[in-house]
Amino acid sequence: MKTRVRSRVCACVALLLLFVVHASFSHEDIKLLEDYETSEDLDVRVQVSGRAVVPWLRAQDWISSARVLLDGDKHVGFIRDDGGFTVSDVPSGSYVLEISSPTYRFQPVRVDITTTGKMRARVVNYIKTSEVIRLPYPLQMRCVGLHSYFIPRETWGWSDFLMNPMVLMMVLPLLIIVLLPKVINPSDPEMRREMEQSMNMLNSNQELPDVSELVTKFFSPPKSQGRPGGGARVPRGGAPSVRGGAPRRRGKTNMAVSYTE
Amino acid sequence: MAWLVVRLAITVSLLYTASAVFEDQVGKFDWRQQFIGKVRFALFDTHSQASKKLLVATDKNVFASLNSRTGDLFWRHVDKTGPEGHIDALLMYGQDAVVVVGNGRLLRSWETTVGGLKWEAVLDTGSFQAAALVGVQDFVKYVAVLKKSAISLHDLSSGSQIWVENLPDSDTVQYQTIYSGGNGLVFVLGFVPNSHIVIVEYKIEDGEIMKKKSVEAAWMSSLENSCAVISSGILLCVDQITQSLYTLPLQSAEQTEMRQIHLQTLDLEVASGFPPVLTSTQPNPAQPPLAEFFLQLSPDHHILLQLKDGLIAPLRDFNPSYLAAFATSGEKTVAAVMSPKNDTACSINLFSADTGRRHLDTTIIYHMDPNGGKPNRLYVHAFLKKDDSVGYRVMVQTEDLTLTFLQQPGRVVWMREEALADVVTMEMVDLPLTGTQAELEGEFGKKADGLLPMVLKRLSSQFILLQAWMAHLWKLFYDARKPRSSVKNEVTIDTLSRDEFNLQKMMVMVTASGKLFGIDSKSGTILWKQYLENIQPNSIFKLIVQRTTAHFPHPPQCTLLIKDKDTGLGSLYVFNPIFGKKSHISVPALPRPVLQTLLLPVIDQDYAKVLLLIDDQYKVTAFPSTKNVLQQLQDTASSIFFYLVDTSQGKLSGFRLRMDLSTELIWEVVIPTEVQKIVAVKGKRANEHVHSQGRVMGDRSVLYKYLNPNLLAVITESTDTHQERSFVGIFLIDGVTGRIVHEAVQRKARGPVHFVHSENWVVYVYWNSKFRRNEFSVLELFEGAELYNSTVFSSLDRPHPPQVLQQSYIFPAPISTLEATLTEKGITSRHLLVGLPSGNILSLPKMFLDPRRPEVVSEQSREENLIPYAPEMPIRTEWFINYNQTVSRVRGIYTAPSGLESTCLVVAYGLDIYQTRVFPSKQFDVLKDDYDYVLISSVLFGLFFATMISKRLAEVKLLNRAWR
Repeated sequence: MKTRVRSRVCACVALLLLFVVHASFSHEDIKLLEDYETSEDLDVRVQVSGRAVVPWLRAQDWISSARVLLDGDKHVGFIRDDGGFTVSDVPSGSYVLEISSPTYRFQPVRVDITTTGKMRARVVNYIKTSEVIRLPYPLQMRCVGLHSYFIPRETWGWSDFLMNPMVLMMVLPLLIIVLLPKVINPSDPEMRREMEQSMNMLNSNQELPDVSELVTKFFSPPKSQGRPGGGARVPRGGAPSVRGGAPRRRGKTNMAVSYTE
Repeated sequence: MAWLVVRLAITVSLLYTASAVFEDQVGKFDWRQQFIGKVRFALFDTHSQASKKLLVATDKNVFASLNSRTGDLFWRHVDKTGPEGHIDALLMYGQDAVVVVGNGRLLRSWETTVGGLKWEAVLDTGSFQAAALVGVQDFVKYVAVLKKSAISLHDLSSGSQIWVENLPDSDTVQYQTIYSGGNGLVFVLGFVPNSHIVIVEYKIEDGEIMKKKSVEAAWMSSLENSCAVISSGILLCVDQITQSLYTLPLQSAEQTEMRQIHLQTLDLEVASGFPPVLTSTQPNPAQPPLAEFFLQLSPDHHILLQLKDGLIAPLRDFNPSYLAAFATSGEKTVAAVMSPKNDTACSINLFSADTGRRHLDTTIIYHMDPNGGKPNRLYVHAFLKKDDSVGYRVMVQTEDLTLTFLQQPGRVVWMREEALADVVTMEMVDLPLTGTQAELEGEFGKKADGLLPMVLKRLSSQFILLQAWMAHLWKLFYDARKPRSSVKNEVTIDTLSRDEFNLQKMMVMVTASGKLFGIDSKSGTILWKQYLENIQPNSIFKLIVQRTTAHFPHPPQCTLLIKDKDTGLGSLYVFNPIFGKKSHISVPALPRPVLQTLLLPVIDQDYAKVLLLIDDQYKVTAFPSTKNVLQQLQDTASSIFFYLVDTSQGKLSGFRLRMDLSTELIWEVVIPTEVQKIVAVKGKRANEHVHSQGRVMGDRSVLYKYLNPNLLAVITESTDTHQERSFVGIFLIDGVTGRIVHEAVQRKARGPVHFVHSENWVVYVYWNSKFRRNEFSVLELFEGAELYNSTVFSSLDRPHPPQVLQQSYIFPAPISTLEATLTEKGITSRHLLVGLPSGNILSLPKMFLDPRRPEVVSEQSREENLIPYAPEMPIRTEWFINYNQTVSRVRGIYTAPSGLESTCLVVAYGLDIYQTRVFPSKQFDVLKDDYDYVLISSVLFGLFFATMISKRLAEVKLLNRAWR
C-alpha cells in the first residue's frame, strides 16, 4: 500500500484572520517598506545600537543580569556600564529587539535593516505588521516598570466580611427587627393611627380575606375561630413583624441556596 | 470598541483561569540550579588578596564569575549558541577581563566586580589564532589579537584599535603565536610545516615591522603546544621524532639556526606516540616569562626544567604525575603537581618554581569519585599567607565535567556538576515505599484469609500508622525546640521514601557527556551519579523505564539506549534508577544499527515491560527475552505494529510483527524530499489519561473526541526557504494503517516548528515569514455527535474520518520549547508550558488554544465558557511559573503526574535546571497553603460559645416567663 502525498495540500479549515492593511502611509514609506522586505541574501552586516535606562537605578546595578535579544536569541548583545549597547553582525531583515531582564520590564522595538544597511526603529505591532510608527534610532529603551510575577493572596478583612451581600442580607433585617420597635413607639396613639392608615393603604381591599387566613380557617377546628389571631389584621406589633419577617425569610432561603452552591 | 470588549472579556476570563505563583510560595517547592558548562578557561583574580572571584569561560559560550569560596555564581553572561558566540580566549588584567568571541570577531572587556561590559570592539574577519596582553614599561596597556592574516593592537581601556597590519606571506606561513616581553615589541611566530619558522617583530607604537627572519626547522609540524617562549625571549621547542629540544633567542641577529639539545643528554625520553607539551609561565605580561617550564613527556610524566645561561637543567622529575600547573602570587611563582597516591586518591603538592623544592605541609589529597572520570585540568589559586609563605587552593576538572575546589589538607570546599548543563533526556521515577507504607499497601492486595485475621491485621496496621504519626509529632516538637539553622533536612539515599501525595520523585537525568544523575526532585540534591566511560561525544540517548517501583521486591529498572550518531550502533545500559547501580542482567548484543525502539505493555514474569529493538534489517530483538516473553510475544504478535521514519528519503513505513519475530511491511507513505522534508514525528505519550470522552456543547449535546492512540503527527518543512514559497506542513497519520487522517499546510511559514501532540489535539508553533511573527495553530479532532465504538478504539475499524477544527493565533514572543502539563487522571484542565528565550516558562491555558473559540459571542458559546476569538495570544508575567528564576537556553520541559490530580511536576532543563509544580486548575484537592485555620477555628468556637450563652439566656428567659 503506497500513498503518495502530493505536495499541493488542501487549505486549512480555519485560517488566521487576515487584517487588511490600510494603505495610509505615504509613498515614500511604502517604498522603504518594500526595501525592508526584500530578501536577506545579501551579506550586509550592521550594528544595532542604543541605550537602555532604568531611570531610578545606576546601570551597574542591573546590567549584569540583562541581555539584549534580537528575535529570541538569534543575536545577543550585552549592555555596557553606561547603559549603551550594540548588537554586532546583524544581517539585513526585520527583528524584534527586546531587553531581557528578570526584574525590569522594557517595551520591545522592531528594527528594520535594509539590504543597504539602512536602519529604522518602529513600534512592535504583531497584528498590523506593516504599520509604521517610527521610534528614534539609535534606540532609546526605557524601563517601564517591574515585572509582576505574583498575584496577591486573597486576604481576609472585616470590611470584606461586612460588605458581603450574604452578611448584609442577614444583618439588615436583624437590625430592623431589633431597632424598629424601639424607634417607633407602638403605644403612641398617633403613631398607631398613622401605621394603621399605611397598612390600609397597603391592603387596599381590607374586606378581602387573606389567603392564609382563609386556609387556616378552612382547616382549623371551629373553636379556634373566636381567638384573636392572624397576623395581617392585628396592627399592634404585627406591622414590624410583617415588614421585617418577609425579608428575613427571604434572607434565610437565600442562605440555604448559597450553601448548596 | 469591539476590540475593547474582547480584551475585557479576556482579562475577566483570565482572573478565573490564571494559575499564578503567590509570593509566599517562592522556593517552597521549586528550585533552580545554574550551570556554566565545560570550563575552557579559568582565571583566579589575584588582583587583591581577599578577592573571591574566579572567572571562567566555557564551551557553552558562557562567561561567568564564580565565588571561589562557595562555588555560587556572582554573575553569568550567556552569549548566543554556535560558533558566533564561541569564546576563543580569556585574558585578565587587574579588574578587567578581555574576552575574544566568535572566532576573533568581537573583543569585549568586562568589568569583573559587577559584571558590566566596559567596551566592545568589532574586529575584521579572519580565523582567530592567538591573543595576548601587551605591556610597555611595566604597564599593560594593549591587547594584541592575531588572526590568520593580520595582527591588530587595541587599547585596553577603551577598546579602540591602535593599528592593524597584514602579516607577510600569510598564505604560506601559519602564524600561531604571539609574544611580548614588555620591551616595546610584539613578536609574531609562524611556521611553514617541515620547513622553517618565521618570526616577525612589530613596533608597538605604529605597527611597523622592525625585523623579519626565518629560521630553518625541518622537523616542525606544529607550534601551538610544542613551543613556548621562556626567559627574556627565548623560543623553546620540543620535537618528538628527533627527541630534542630546540632553543632560539628571538631578538638575536646572529643566530640563524636553532640550537638542538638532545633529550638524551638530560636522561629524558618522550613516550612513543605522545606529542610532548611545553608549559611556560609569564606572571606579568609586561615582563618576560620565567626561565622555568614544564615538559610533559607522557600522559603521566612531567618534568620541571630550567634554562640557565643557555643550558637546560632539570629541576625536578615528577614521575608519575597527572597534571601540573603554575601559579603566581605576588613575586612568588609556584608549581602544583598532581600525582597518584593510590587507586582512589591523588595528592597535590606545591613546589617552588625557581628551585623545584617542595613546600612543606602543602599536600592536598584529592579523592577520585569511583563513579566519575579522571582529572584532566588543574587550576591553582596561590596566595600569600600572613607569614609570607605561599598557600594555595586548587580547582580540579575531571573528564565527566565535575569541578572540585579543594583546600588543604583535602577538604572539598565546593563541587559543581557541569555535565548537568547539557541534559539530553530525563525521566521521573516514583520513589520506593517505606516498610510501613508497603505493609499498608500489601493489606489491600492480598487474598483474604478469614475475618478475624483481617480485623487483626487492620488493627495492627492502624497501630503502626499511629506509631508513625506519634514519631512524626515528636520529631516536630523536637525540631521546634532547636534553633532553625541546626535543623537539617539532609536527603540521603537511605532516607528516601515516597511522600503522601507522591510529589517527591527521583529525576534520572542523562547528560551529553555520558554522565547519569539521580536527583531528588524536592530539594535538587544529587543522590547518585554514574559516569559512563567511552561514550562518543555525539551519541543519542534514549531512556526507558522498564519497571517502576510498584513491583516490590523487584527493584525498579531503567534502560538507557546509547546510539552512535554516525554508525547507528547501539548498546544498552541497564540500571536501578533509585540507587544508580548497574544491573547484572544480561543485555542483548546489538550488532546492527538500531532504528526504532518500542516499549510494549507486555510484562515478563518479573514485571519488566518488554522492549523491542528494531535493527536496519527489520529484525526485532526483545529485551528481556525469556521464554515467557517470547511466548507472550507470539500470542500478541498480530497486534503489534510499529513505524519507521527515514528522513533522508522522506519515507514513513509501518510494520507488523510476525510470530517468529520477523516483520512485514504493511504501509508506506512517501513525502517527496525535493519539496519538503520531515522534521519531526511524534506520537502521544503512553502514560497520558483522557478523562472525558467528549465535550458538552452549549445545547447540552456532546461532541465526542477522536481519541486515536495510534495517531502520529508528522511535521514537514519545505526545502524552498524563500519567504514567499516556504511552508510548513502537518500530517496526521494513523500508525497502524498508514491512513492519512488529516493534512494541513501553513503557507509562508517556516520552522523551527515546536509542537505538542496530546489527547485529540495538536498544537504547533511556526514562524510566519510574511508577517514576521510566531504563530500558534491548534488542530482538534472530533468524531462528531456520536461515537462509532465507544468501548474500544481500533484503527482498523474506523469508517468515518474525524472532523477537524483548526484555529491560529499570533504569539507575541519567540519560543524555545513547548510541552503540555500532565496529570494523574487527566481531569485537570491542560496548560501548555512554553519556554521562552528570555528564560521564562509561560503556563498558557489550553483554553486559549481552542479552535471552537467563536468570533461572535453567542448564548451557547457563553454557556460553554468559550473565550471569544482574539488573534493575539496574551502573555502575562503572572503566568510565568518560574517568576524571576529564569532558565537559560531552555531546551526541554519534562512533565510528570504526581499523586495529586491537581498537581503536575515540571522540570525545565537547558543550561540551568528548574523544578517546580504547577496547578492548572488550582489546588482543588488539597487545602490551600493559606488556609485560614485561625479564622475557621475562631468562628467555630465563637458559634459554640454563642450557642452556649444563648441557651443559658433562653433558659433564664423561660424561667422568668414561668414566674410571671
